[in-house]
Amino acid sequence: MSAPPFVELRHISKYFAKVIANQDVSLQIRKGEVLALLGENGAGKSTIMKVLYGLYKAEEGQILIDGEEKVIHTPKDAMKLGIAMIQQHFALVQAHTVTENIILGLVHGRFDITHYDKIVAELAASHGFDVDPTAVVSELPVGVQQKVEILKALYQNAQLLIMDEPTAVLTPQESDVLMNFVHQNTRAGKAVVFITHKLREVMEVADHIVVMRAGKVVGDLRKEETNEIELSKLMVGREIHDRTYVEDAVFESQPVGLALQNVSIRDPKENIFRIKNISFQVHKGEILGIAGVSGNGQSSLCDAISGYRRLTEGKILLNGQDITEQTARERIERGIGYVPSDRQRFGLILSMKLTENMFLKSSFEDTWVKHALIDRKRLDAYTAEKIRAYAVKATGPDAVARSLSGGNQQKVILAREVDRGSEVIIFDQPTRGLDLGAIEHVHRTILDEKKKGKAIVMISTELSEIFGLSDRIAVIYKGEILGIYRNHDLDTHKIGLLMAGYTAETR
Amino acid sequence: MAVLAGLTVSGLLLLFLGENPLAAMGTLFGSLFRDSYTFADVFVKATPLMFTALAFAFTFQANLFNIGAQGQFYIGAMTAVGCSLLLQGKMPGLLVLVISAVLTILFGGLWGGLVGWLKARFNANEFLVSMMSTYVALNLMNYLLRTFLMEAKGEYPQTDALDSAVWLQTIIPGTRLHTGFILAVLSCIGIWVLLYKTPLGFRIRAVGQGKDAAEMAGINYKTLYVVAFFVSGALAAFGGFTEVNGVQHMLVQGFNPDVGVAGIGIAILANGNPIGIIFAAILFGALKVGGTIMGQLSGIPSSITELMLGSVMVFVILAYYVREKLEDRREKTRLKKAVSV
Amino acid sequence: MIELLSRTFMMGTPLLYGSLSEVYAERSGVMNTAIEGIFLMGAWAGFVAAYQTNGNLAIGLLAAMVAGIVTAALYGWICVYLKQHQIVTGVAINLLALGFCSFFQRVIFGVPVTPLIVQPLQPIAIPFLSEIPVIGPILFNQNILTYLLFVLVPIANFVLFKTSLGLSIRSIGENPEAGDVAGIRVDRLRFLTILFAGVMCGIGGAFYSIGYLGMFTVTIIGGRGWIAFAICFLGNWKPLGVLAGTLVFGLAEAVAIYMQSSGTSLFPNELFIAMPYILTIVLTVARRSFNVPASLGVPYRKEG
Repeated sequence: MSAPPFVELRHISKYFAKVIANQDVSLQIRKGEVLALLGENGAGKSTIMKVLYGLYKAEEGQILIDGEEKVIHTPKDAMKLGIAMIQQHFALVQAHTVTENIILGLVHGRFDITHYDKIVAELAASHGFDVDPTAVVSELPVGVQQKVEILKALYQNAQLLIMDEPTAVLTPQESDVLMNFVHQNTRAGKAVVFITHKLREVMEVADHIVVMRAGKVVGDLRKEETNEIELSKLMVGREIHDRTYVEDAVFESQPVGLALQNVSIRDPKENIFRIKNISFQVHKGEILGIAGVSGNGQSSLCDAISGYRRLTEGKILLNGQDITEQTARERIERGIGYVPSDRQRFGLILSMKLTENMFLKSSFEDTWVKHALIDRKRLDAYTAEKIRAYAVKATGPDAVARSLSGGNQQKVILAREVDRGSEVIIFDQPTRGLDLGAIEHVHRTILDEKKKGKAIVMISTELSEIFGLSDRIAVIYKGEILGIYRNHDLDTHKIGLLMAGYTAETR
Repeated sequence: MAVLAGLTVSGLLLLFLGENPLAAMGTLFGSLFRDSYTFADVFVKATPLMFTALAFAFTFQANLFNIGAQGQFYIGAMTAVGCSLLLQGKMPGLLVLVISAVLTILFGGLWGGLVGWLKARFNANEFLVSMMSTYVALNLMNYLLRTFLMEAKGEYPQTDALDSAVWLQTIIPGTRLHTGFILAVLSCIGIWVLLYKTPLGFRIRAVGQGKDAAEMAGINYKTLYVVAFFVSGALAAFGGFTEVNGVQHMLVQGFNPDVGVAGIGIAILANGNPIGIIFAAILFGALKVGGTIMGQLSGIPSSITELMLGSVMVFVILAYYVREKLEDRREKTRLKKAVSV
Repeated sequence: MIELLSRTFMMGTPLLYGSLSEVYAERSGVMNTAIEGIFLMGAWAGFVAAYQTNGNLAIGLLAAMVAGIVTAALYGWICVYLKQHQIVTGVAINLLALGFCSFFQRVIFGVPVTPLIVQPLQPIAIPFLSEIPVIGPILFNQNILTYLLFVLVPIANFVLFKTSLGLSIRSIGENPEAGDVAGIRVDRLRFLTILFAGVMCGIGGAFYSIGYLGMFTVTIIGGRGWIAFAICFLGNWKPLGVLAGTLVFGLAEAVAIYMQSSGTSLFPNELFIAMPYILTIVLTVARRSFNVPASLGVPYRKEG
């Protein structure tokens, strides 16, 4: 083919203050094709596309559209050239309606909202999307919000659609629907770039694959030429196998560590139940995995167990004792550890040093206090020991938490919570956004703690993680538990249906 | 460095007005050393400023904004004067002072703590509430000066002079420097220790820097809000006590009208660090004293000191920005070098 | 009574100029914490210009607007483009304004023997409309700045909710990244709303010196810039809400003045002077931030 590709990136390099995000990256995007951009977390895939979309400015390199060099300084420039990008964290105004979000920046002067409501409704219908243009975005489930983002791109008649980890918030069935849409789009002559770290998806959806590792391109192939094993070797330098579950026959005979009985939390402002009638038991030395699409009540469940929110109904028992009325502080003292999903907001104080972060949950104890003052030497020694034990890449106990990478930050939180959680530990999305090395480490830690006889609850949207580690699996949907199963009694298909709300009765 | 920049700009302004800035600065700073009275006065002026600056800085650590230091200062002054007038002559002076001090801390703390409580309970915007509370305190003081606290003569809205038994001791004879200054410095050090070396201080800073993480860690931020504002109010009020019993020896309408605002400026200059506040307050005291004399001697209005403080602050803020940018750029070039190797 | 209501509109005028512009600024995500200082600069510049031109109020207003814009530009530059802390910068600017005005007032006028006065704005009675019983004298016997508001408020409401400019402003205050991605120049738009605040608050400040009192002292604003700031908050970031809030405070101030001048000694004077401030506290506590723009106060930092 002698026609130039629709988009070509040549020798792009991009640095941030502390890291080289992209180094000498070159790739081509053709119309009518799906390009999968594959790499583990931190490889630089999102960054290179954000450079193309005008959100970042490259230090070196050129961008060519249809063979001509173009300068893209802002997303507006990119949009004018027909490029649209759907980010991992949606760039939507939650408080506004669907239509208001779609026409943002695209109307001039005064406008009549109902006129645009109609246009949006027609657009949605023509693509088979069931979206109400007058709905307020914050009230829409995550999967529908993604559709709004897509509609926005379609409204602008985008020729290239870039999607960054789109299946992270979908059930397996919804992912299939998305893949269909992607193929429809390319059949209509458009181009799609699909950024992901999941090998299986790549083989399903891509025509062409570019593999990135540590900011560089390490592979540029057509799907027919390769397979999952080769891709994984390119991605991380070795074969990746999903963790396989090691059957544990003993746990059910152990005493119950954590029990929830008919737990509900109602949100007074919006008058809906965030979690309803949740009951389950976790034995000592058991890992209970809780699967579900994000936004179905997982955070509220964690809030209930950690004591961050009070229950509207129900009871929580720790080793048989009722702790429902106890505060978060009391629960921490009793040995409940919690690794939150929003690490940077709830897990660490980014502006504080590592030592101070380790002290965060211990400030009420006498262990670290000498003559009414904080025993800094002892704390520093403790922190240094943890840094060593968990192989945290940091300059020392005095390092500011913000200066650590995501994976290392998670290690610090793990170190703290594993120590504090002597009875129960809750992990919420423990490996999200981490590179493979860090993921391995987290999984090993979780299994170690299970061996120590702690009751472990692990909430995750990654099915491979759920199936790899859990002794039993519960599925949460719209705040309710739809069933608890032994690991070998579930498969991807069944769990996918549960995650979408189809129980045995409704099927 | 930013301080110099701010002073320079003010200097340029003077030039603009046809005066010789260097000579003016010279007069300003030189006059400070002309006699021990003037020199000591710098520290006298710095004393209440240290308290109001501490007040703002303390709540600032919790990411709260106490703009009501001026009002809390007045509450303290009123309490101190009322207490002294009531009890003087009836018991030993030292005892009166101690009781005054305790009551000042109590009432100032309550006045401030109320703001903290409103924030904790109702999530009221503490910035606005504390600011408005100053005006309420001001009017309360004016009312009292017109009625209950008014002098026996009944001529002016001010109190009678306090009996010398209840004055704070002068440290250096021949000057106005009183023990209040020592108390101020001790307070700064004490607050520094509290904030950076004790668990309570840690919790306050944790709430200020990461409220959600702190709450998840079992720290009750609501209680801390009240505590922070109580301490803050108490500090500012104590400043009022030192002014009344140490310098003024009476309560006059509209005295020290800018001690609250200047305190905020000083706290920001010192970046919220209590030890830095000691020095920033002394600097400002020097500007104030020198500025007044400069005004008398050379005809340049003394209000240039506010101008200088304002422009210094602006330059401090600019300095933060410059420093940030330089850091970033330095890191990037370091990376580029590493890559091209 | 009618006198009281008429005064309400008059005393509410500067507050409305301030709070209306604050709505726009905060909707775009920036708190204008320099509001008190801008009011002061407007009051001072307006007075000086009017005095030096022998009472030409139009020049005074113009000067006030210029002073307002310049001050606001400094604040906007530091907060929006340099991404510094909004409250800290606001405090700095307010201090700077205070020093600036008191210093230059001294420099220009020295210590006057008799107080300097300018003839303030006089009410202009609109023929025919001001004859209507009850509402006539209340609404149609005001000065020109108040009349201007009759037009400005509905326009502000319309622009904010029914035009693309308004949509853009509201969006960047909620989620600046969404605006960035849609091609809106976030920083520029925020800076513009601050400049708008500069003009409006300059006028608001000038109202006190050349629109009402006819003189200038450094304490002339007395915290009312901050009341305007509070009204934006209390009015739920809507022009109509802010209008309601302004009337309430205007009434409080009018009552205070009435009580003072009528000499009733039932309650101490100071209580009435303190009324607007107490009212602010009560209302601030009662209103629990309903429609706070989600990104208010957070400077927009792009990584790239």
